[in-house]
Amino acid sequence: MKRLREVFLSALMLENPLMRLMIGLCSALAISTRVESTLFMGMAATFVLVCSNTIISLSRKVIPDEVRIPVFIVVIASFVTIVDLVMRAYFPPIYARLGVWIPLIVVNCIILGRAEAFASKNDVLASVADGLGMGGGYTIVLLIMGTFRELVGTGKIVMFERTLVSLGSTFQPPTIVVLFPGAFFTFGFLMAILNKLENRWWGK
Amino acid sequence: MMEAARTYLLLFFGAAIVYNILLIRFIGLCPFFGVSKSIETSIGMSVAVLFVMTVATSACWLLWGLVLQPLGVGEFLYIPSFILVIAALVQFEEMFIRKVSPPLYKAMGIYLPLITTNCAVLAVAVESVKPGFLKLNIPYHYSLPEAVVYAIGVACGFAVAIVMFAAIRERIELAPIAKSLRGAPIGFITAGLMSLAFMGFAGLFKL
Repeated sequence: MKRLREVFLSALMLENPLMRLMIGLCSALAISTRVESTLFMGMAATFVLVCSNTIISLSRKVIPDEVRIPVFIVVIASFVTIVDLVMRAYFPPIYARLGVWIPLIVVNCIILGRAEAFASKNDVLASVADGLGMGGGYTIVLLIMGTFRELVGTGKIVMFERTLVSLGSTFQPPTIVVLFPGAFFTFGFLMAILNKLENRWWGK
Repeated sequence: MMEAARTYLLLFFGAAIVYNILLIRFIGLCPFFGVSKSIETSIGMSVAVLFVMTVATSACWLLWGLVLQPLGVGEFLYIPSFILVIAALVQFEEMFIRKVSPPLYKAMGIYLPLITTNCAVLAVAVESVKPGFLKLNIPYHYSLPEAVVYAIGVACGFAVAIVMFAAIRERIELAPIAKSLRGAPIGFITAGLMSLAFMGFAGLFKL
């Protein structure tokens, strides 16, 4: 149990896929314009990550080493297809907004990277914990970026067509935050702030 | 004739500059930050992407039009089948480059096999066949030559952005920068400024 918690926490913080390993950036930058999208994207990626980690970890002894990458990709692609069809059937407006990013979960480096680096070498429970930690870490960073960009860039947060938070009509939103360059700026400064805090706390 | 030429030209420049795949659409950022340390490797990477993207898009278009669509299985088989086509092509290209130019092979290192998981290649292949996705903002079925021109345009846009970024980065290496901004964060901020510049092309023309 202790080991599982360690795996989970290390995946969530120390090896945070976006901030520390710097993988899976594309989707994070592109869809973090709205909190709602980040929530669904985070759930979709976590689902695929946990499921593919489980299957790959279970079958790690029967997969021949030479063809492991194609096998991993087919496993991942199957789960992404499930997400693709479910999202299209039950959440058409969100599917339309996420667009090409749902099929692109297949080529999200986080998922193949964890299959190769973790699930193919560890037992099932640890792989599930790693999947949850990685997915959670990805979702948290997405939520932070999404909240900041939607709140500052548009002046309010809208979820399921209801306004949750509003900064009032006197606030004039700097639209640049929610446009394309804003994604790069937000991510760069988020990373810099994290570096700063790390330096202060651990004095590295 | 003139009309067709105009469409292709608009498609090419739209894909390369107005909807630049790296700076405006954020697709394929891993090599953008990974191999952009020197101009030379980024040129190598761009050539590899241009080749894989063009061939993969035509192969996937044919696969969709001749096999998946007539059999009615496209909706749920397109993701696995496209990714396998791309993986096979990358494998082929890797063998080819290793044979023809060992220095280039060495320079591209880990990023050559990673083109398989470069979202840009899959994205362009998917966009060239699936209706309803963002294709320069209009739902539209590409014909084969249009899909090829679109793929070449996207790859050229990729090359322009990554080579420019590599050139800027070579200079940043020498600049005095605050400690917590050093490395990746300043890279993102640079990319943001470039993206800001590319946004200026947005009103260039309407498709």
